[in-house]
Amino acid sequence: MNTLASNAKPTSILYLDGVSVSFDGFKALNSLSFVIEPGELRAIIGPNGAGKTTMMDIITGKTRPDSGEVFFKGTVDLTQKDEAEIAQLGIGRKFQKPTVFESHTVWDNLELALNRKRGVFSTLFYRLTAEDKERIEEILSTVRLTNRKDDYAANLSHGQKQWLEIGMLLAQEPELLLVDEPVAGMTDAETTETALLLKEIAKTRSVVVVEHDMGFIRDLGVKVTCLAEGSVLAEGSIDFVSADPKVIENYLGR
Amino acid sequence: MHARLIHRFLQCLLVAFCLTVTLLATDLRAADDLRTMVNALGGGNFQQNQKQVEALAKTGDPRIVPALEALSEGDLYQRKADGTVFIVKPAGSNFTLIDAVTGDAAGEEAKAALEKIKVNNGLRRTIRAALGGLTLMSPDTGVRLQAANTILRTPSADALDGLDAALAAETDGTVRAVLEKARAASVLVSDRPVDEKKAAVATVVETGGRDSLSLLSAALATADESLRPDIEAGITKIEDRQALWAAGQNVWYGLSLGSVLLLAAIGLAITFGVMGIINMAHGEMVMLGAYTTFVVQQIIRTSFPGLFDWSLAIALPLAFLVTGVVGLAIERGIIRFLYGRPLETLLATWGVSLILQQAVRSIFGPTNQEVGNPSWMSGAFDLGGMTITWNRMWIIVFSLAVFAFLLFLLKRTPMGLQMRAVTQNRRMASSMGIRTPWVDALTFALGSGIAGIAGVALSQIDNVSPNLGQGYIIDSFMVVVFGGVGNLWGTLVGAFTLGILNKFLEPYAGAVLGKILVLVLIILFIQKRPRGLFALKGRAVEA
Amino acid sequence: MITSFVLKALDRNIVWVTALLLVIAALVPALNLMTAPDHPLHIPTYIVSLVGKYLTYALLALALDLVWGFCGILSLGHAAFFALGGYAMGMYLMRQIGARGSYGNPLLPDFMVFLNWKELPWFWYGFDMFWFAALMAVLVPGLLGFVFGWFAFRSRVNGVYLSIITQAMTFALLLAFFRNDMGFGGNNGLTDFKDILGFNIQSNGTRSALFAASAIALALSLVITSGIVRSKYGKVLIGVRDAESRTRFLGYRVEHMKLFAFTVSAMMAGVAGALYVPQVGIINPGEFEPANSIEVVIWTAVGGRGTLIGPIVGAILVNGGKSIFTAAFPEFWLFALGGLFVVVTLFLPRGIVGTARQVIERRREYRKVRQAEAARAIAAEPQAAE
Repeated sequence: MNTLASNAKPTSILYLDGVSVSFDGFKALNSLSFVIEPGELRAIIGPNGAGKTTMMDIITGKTRPDSGEVFFKGTVDLTQKDEAEIAQLGIGRKFQKPTVFESHTVWDNLELALNRKRGVFSTLFYRLTAEDKERIEEILSTVRLTNRKDDYAANLSHGQKQWLEIGMLLAQEPELLLVDEPVAGMTDAETTETALLLKEIAKTRSVVVVEHDMGFIRDLGVKVTCLAEGSVLAEGSIDFVSADPKVIENYLGR
Repeated sequence: MHARLIHRFLQCLLVAFCLTVTLLATDLRAADDLRTMVNALGGGNFQQNQKQVEALAKTGDPRIVPALEALSEGDLYQRKADGTVFIVKPAGSNFTLIDAVTGDAAGEEAKAALEKIKVNNGLRRTIRAALGGLTLMSPDTGVRLQAANTILRTPSADALDGLDAALAAETDGTVRAVLEKARAASVLVSDRPVDEKKAAVATVVETGGRDSLSLLSAALATADESLRPDIEAGITKIEDRQALWAAGQNVWYGLSLGSVLLLAAIGLAITFGVMGIINMAHGEMVMLGAYTTFVVQQIIRTSFPGLFDWSLAIALPLAFLVTGVVGLAIERGIIRFLYGRPLETLLATWGVSLILQQAVRSIFGPTNQEVGNPSWMSGAFDLGGMTITWNRMWIIVFSLAVFAFLLFLLKRTPMGLQMRAVTQNRRMASSMGIRTPWVDALTFALGSGIAGIAGVALSQIDNVSPNLGQGYIIDSFMVVVFGGVGNLWGTLVGAFTLGILNKFLEPYAGAVLGKILVLVLIILFIQKRPRGLFALKGRAVEA
Repeated sequence: MITSFVLKALDRNIVWVTALLLVIAALVPALNLMTAPDHPLHIPTYIVSLVGKYLTYALLALALDLVWGFCGILSLGHAAFFALGGYAMGMYLMRQIGARGSYGNPLLPDFMVFLNWKELPWFWYGFDMFWFAALMAVLVPGLLGFVFGWFAFRSRVNGVYLSIITQAMTFALLLAFFRNDMGFGGNNGLTDFKDILGFNIQSNGTRSALFAASAIALALSLVITSGIVRSKYGKVLIGVRDAESRTRFLGYRVEHMKLFAFTVSAMMAGVAGALYVPQVGIINPGEFEPANSIEVVIWTAVGGRGTLIGPIVGAILVNGGKSIFTAAFPEFWLFALGGLFVVVTLFLPRGIVGTARQVIERRREYRKVRQAEAARAIAAEPQAAE
C-alpha cells in the first residue's frame, strides 16, 4: 500500500513508507507512510494507541520496524542505525515526560547536549571553549533559563524542565526535531509561549510535533497528520482534518 | 453288582499297595546310593571328587544340597573309623555330627576321629554349578531364581540338561527369563551346532544388559567364523540399546535436577518474576522450610514415632505458614519502603538473608541436621535399563504439583486476579478498590511460602544446614531470568532445560565444568535475549 | 590536556584526602620502623598490615563506586576482578619461592609437584618477573571486564539483570578456580609466600613498604577517578545513570561509556587485589565468593555511593568494625552486617558522606535564602520610610 510517490523521497528530510511493526500480535503501526519536507513544521494528532510514540521510536532507532522504509534526507536508511548514530545524524527527540539530567546543573545539561565529539576520550579530555560558552549562554536566553543556570535541573518547575529539554535539543543542533506532547501539564501562558518557541525553532529546521491539545495545534497553524490504528487517517490543514468524518469518528468525536 | 464293586475296590487297593512299595523301595535304594556316593567323596583326590560331585548332581536329588554346600565350606568330614561322611559343626573340642544325606543329628565325635575332605577352587566351582542345577527344581521361587542366576554367571555345557528340565517345569515368568538366558549362555559355551548357538545369541541379545555384553564378548573369543558376525552384531545392538538407556537415565537425572531447580525457583518466579522484587533472602526461605521439616521430625521421633511416614505431610503446611509469615514480615518491615528501587531491595534482602542464616546457626548450630526419608520415599525401582529412586521420583511429582497449584492460584482464583491486576497496573487496580499494599504483602508471603514448601522437599535430598539456601540462590535467579521474567511457564521450561542441559554436559565436562559451562551459556543467552526465553514484548516492558 | 584533567580532578576535598593518604603512607611506616616497640606512638606491624588491607579494600570499593555510584551499574562480581589481580600477584610470589618449597622443585610450585605435574603450564610463564605479574594484575581483570562489558552493554543488559549475571560470572570463576586442573592450586589457592622483589615478605620493612604502596595506589586512584567523574565524560556517565535514554538520544554511545568505566573499574579492582595478596599472605578461590562482592557493595553504600570519599570511608569503617566485632562477639557479626544492609538502604540511602554533604548543602542553601531575605528586607525599608 505505497501511497507515496517515491519521487518525494530525494527532496524530503524524513520519508516513511509502508512502515509496520507489531508487538505480540498487536499491530502498533500498520503500513504507515508520510513525508516531511525540509523546514516544515508538522503536527501529528491521533487517539491513544494510534502509534504516535511507536512512530517516534522507529524514527529514532529505538524500535526496528518489521517492514517498510525510513529515510532521512532521502539517502540515509534509519532502520539500519541505532539511537546514538541517528542522534549524531541530526535528529533530536523530546520525550513526552520531560527527561533531563536531574543531578546536573542547567548549565551542565546544556554542555552535555552540545553538538561536539561524543567519544569516550574526547569527552574525557574535553575543555569548555569560549565558543561553546557563548553558545550555551545563547541557548539559556532562548529558553529563558539564564538566571537558573547553576541550579540543579531537579529543582526546576515542570515547564522549566520542558524548556530545558527543548534547549538541550537546540544545543544538539538537529536538522529534524521530534517533539512529543510538549505542552502536556503546562499552564495556558506557558503553552502559548511554547508555541512561539517552536515556531521560532522551525525557522531553521524541520520539526514534528505530536500533540493532543487542539488549541495548541491551532496556535501552530501548520499542516496536520492524523493517525489512527497505526496508519494515516487524514492529512492537511487543521480545518480540513477536523472536518474529515473519519477523524471525527475516530478522534474528535469521542 | 456288589461283587463287582468289591472286586474293583480290591483291585485298586492292590495297585495302590504295589505302587507304594515300589516307591518306598526306590526311595530307600536312592538313599542308599546317595550315601555310597557321598561317602565316596571321602577317599578321592580333587579330580575324582569333581567327577563324584558331577555324578551327584546328575541324580538331581535335592537332598545332597546340604552335603555339597558343606563340602564347599570345608565342613564335610569323614570318620576315620568307618569311612562315613558327615557334616560337622564344632562343639568345643568335639564335632557335632549331622547325617550328610538325611540331615539328622548323628551324635558327637572327637575332632581327632574325623578327617576333613579337602576342597580347592576347582572343586568349589564344580560344586557351585552342581548346586545351581539342583536348586533349579526347588519349590521355592527365590531359590530357583538364585540358582538360575548362579548358572548364568558360570555357564557350562553340563548344566544344559538340568536347565532344559527346569525350563519344562518352570511357570514363574521372572525365573523363566533368567533360565532361558542361562541356557543360552550355556549353549554358547557348549559344542552344540551353530544354528542352536545363533538362536542362543539372539536370546542373549534380546535380554540385553551389562552381563549379556560380557557373555557375548567371552563367547566371541572362542566362537568360530560362522558365529562371529552374529555375536558382533549382537554386541553392537546391546551397546546401542545401553547407550539409549544411558541417555534415558541422563534425561531422568536432568529431570530430577530440573525439578529441584523448579522447586527452588518457583517462589522466586512469584516474588521476582511477578512482583519484580529481588529477594536475595529467597534461599533462606527454602532453608527455613527445610528446618521446619527437621523440627517436625524431631518432635515426631521423640513423641509420636508411629507418625514418621506422615512427617512430610505435616511439615508442608507448617513450612508454608512459617516462611509465609517470615515473608510477610520482611515485606511489611522492609521491602514495601523500597518499591521501585530494585537494587536497594537486593541489598536489604541480602542483609535479611545474613541475619536469617546466623539466627538459624545460633539456634540449631552450624552442622548438618539429620532429616530422614519416610519409608515411601526411600529405595529405588528399575525401569528397563534405568534405576529410579523413589525420593527423586516424588520430588519431580511434587514440583509439578506445586507448579500446577500456583498456576491455578494465579489464573483461576480471585486472589490471583488481584495479584495480576496489581502487578500490571498498580494505580488502576488501586482505583478499582483493590487494596494494593495488602495484595503486595500477600503475594510476597505466597512466594515465600512456596519457597518454604520447596524446602520441605529439598530437605529430602540435600544437607540441611544454615548454608542450604546459599546453594540455591544463584541457580534460582538463573532459572527465572533464563525462562523469562513474569512467566511461570518460562520458569518451568527454564528449570527443566537447565537441569537436562547440565546433566548432558556432565559426562563430557565433569560436574563442575559442566556447571560452569551452563553458567557461561546462560550469561551468553541473556546477551542474546535479555528478557529470557519467553519474554514479554512491547511498549509496556520498556516503562 | 592531561593537566586540565588533573586540575579538574583536584577539588578541595580530593586534595585534602589525597594529602592525608600520602601523609599516612609516610607516617605509619615511619612510626612502625623507627620507634621502639614500647614507644607510645609505636604502631605494631600487625596493625600496619591490617590497615594496609583496609586500604586495598577501600580501593576496591572506590572501583565499584565508579561504576555503581556514577554510572548506575550495580556489579555483584567485583570481587572477581579483585581476586584475579590477587592471583596474578600470587603467581609471582609463588614463583619467587623457587626451590625453597617443601618439594624443593626450582621450577614448579609445590601444589603442581603434588599433583604430579611435570611441566609449568603455559599461563604460568613470565610470572617470575615482577613487572609482568604487575602488568597482568591490571590487564587480566581489565580484559575480563572489557569482554564481559562488551557483550553485556552492547545487548543492553542492565539493572538487576546485569547484577545477576555479574554474580553468575564470579560464581563460575569460583567453581573454576576450585578445580585442581585449572592450575591455580585448587581449593588451597596460593600461599606460603617467601619474598617479594627479593625482600622477605614477613619483615617489618616489607610490610611497611606494602602499606605505603597501598596508600599511594589509593591516593593515585582517587585522583584518577576524580578526574574521570569531573570531566565531561563523568557528567555523561552520571547522565547515563539518571536518564540513559536521554543520553542515547543526545548521540552518546552509552555502551562505550559504560564499557570504559567498567574496564577502568575492573583494572582498579585488580590493582587492589594485587596489593592485598602479599599483605594477607594467601589467595584462594574463596575470594570469588559472590558474598564477597556483595559485601563490597555495602562498604560503598555505607560510605556513600556517588561520592569519591564515601567508599573509602565506608570500606575502612565497616572492615574496622568487622575486626573489632569478630574479636569481641563473633556470633553477632553476621547479625550486625545484615542489619547494616537493611539500615543503610532504608535510612541512609546516600551513605555517611552523601548525607553529610546533603546537610552541608541544605545549610548553605538556607543561609543563602536568609541572606536574600535580609537583603530584600533592607531594600524594602527605605521604600517603607518614603
